[in-house]
Amino acid sequence: MRRAILAVACAVLLTRCPRQALFVVLPNAEGGGTGEITIDDGKTATTLDQPYASAESRAGSIGPVEESRGNIGVIFRQAVAARPILPHYFRLYFILGSNELTPKSAIDYREVFDDIKQRPVYEIEVIGHTDTVGDLRSNQALSLARAAVLRDRLVRDGVERNAISIAGRGKRDLLVPTGDQVPEPLNRCVVITVR
Amino acid sequence: MGRMLWLTAVVLIAMAGAPGAAEAPPIAQLKTVTGQVTIVRAGERLPAKIGDLLFEKDVVETGPDGALGMTFIDNTVFSTGPSSQLALDEFRFDSNNFRGSMLADMRQGTLAVVSGDITRGSPGAMKIRTPTAVLGVRGTTFAVHVCGKH
Repeated sequence: MRRAILAVACAVLLTRCPRQALFVVLPNAEGGGTGEITIDDGKTATTLDQPYASAESRAGSIGPVEESRGNIGVIFRQAVAARPILPHYFRLYFILGSNELTPKSAIDYREVFDDIKQRPVYEIEVIGHTDTVGDLRSNQALSLARAAVLRDRLVRDGVERNAISIAGRGKRDLLVPTGDQVPEPLNRCVVITVR
Repeated sequence: MGRMLWLTAVVLIAMAGAPGAAEAPPIAQLKTVTGQVTIVRAGERLPAKIGDLLFEKDVVETGPDGALGMTFIDNTVFSTGPSSQLALDEFRFDSNNFRGSMLADMRQGTLAVVSGDITRGSPGAMKIRTPTAVLGVRGTTFAVHVCGKH
């Protein structure tokens, strides 16, 4: 009896799982071009670089396989459903030499806040930058002040302080490359990552 | 003097026995948790909840009704379906230059990945090992299903 049950259980498992592993490229989660994965079992390397391209390992070897979108959807339904909200990136800009947001960025701030609020848990990184006007030291201080201003604003609006990390890169890490002493508005910026 | 040495030994043993988690920085955070989800850390099984931080060498497991999602500090996103087992073997990442390396061991179940900055900074830096093969990632959205060992 016990043996019979075991045999049935094995048959069920075998039909459910005749392959050892399945590898699939999915369409990019948020647009952009498709990348690629390479599956290497020590004997052969299989590269997949198209959406829904698949490979399987079965009976000790690996090769491309045709798998329907329907099946792929069923196999990975719960894994994909469990995917967190993807990280999002924002840039807010500042007035020359100051830690005050430009009028447009003061409005755009709302998007950052709304993005944070839709997440059950979150981590936020704020990195401050400057243009190249002035010396290294004052720009380092200004970039950190910009990041701090953003953090304080978020905290005032109810975002957890512990979830926010800040840093300043001064004029050492320009978002738009320029020469020295160039008042480039796009470099007076904080880059915010929300994840 | 003898007593001092003895004390030092006790302190050293205590430090060696403590989980490294307290010292090492977290590498990811659990963002979604459904059903039964367990973190195995230094041999201990901890019930997981949303917001929990994950560290290098942690193993995450989902029960037959479980699913989880996590986001790494390089913004790579992993999620697994039910009856899955995933070991976070190695994770190094420098946010200044996006250099690093990552090795995850997908032992069983289903895994969906959206790769992050680590594959942008150093293509080939992300590897996912399965029982039959190693996956090299050049930056994309992909999924892996490893059938159970029965």
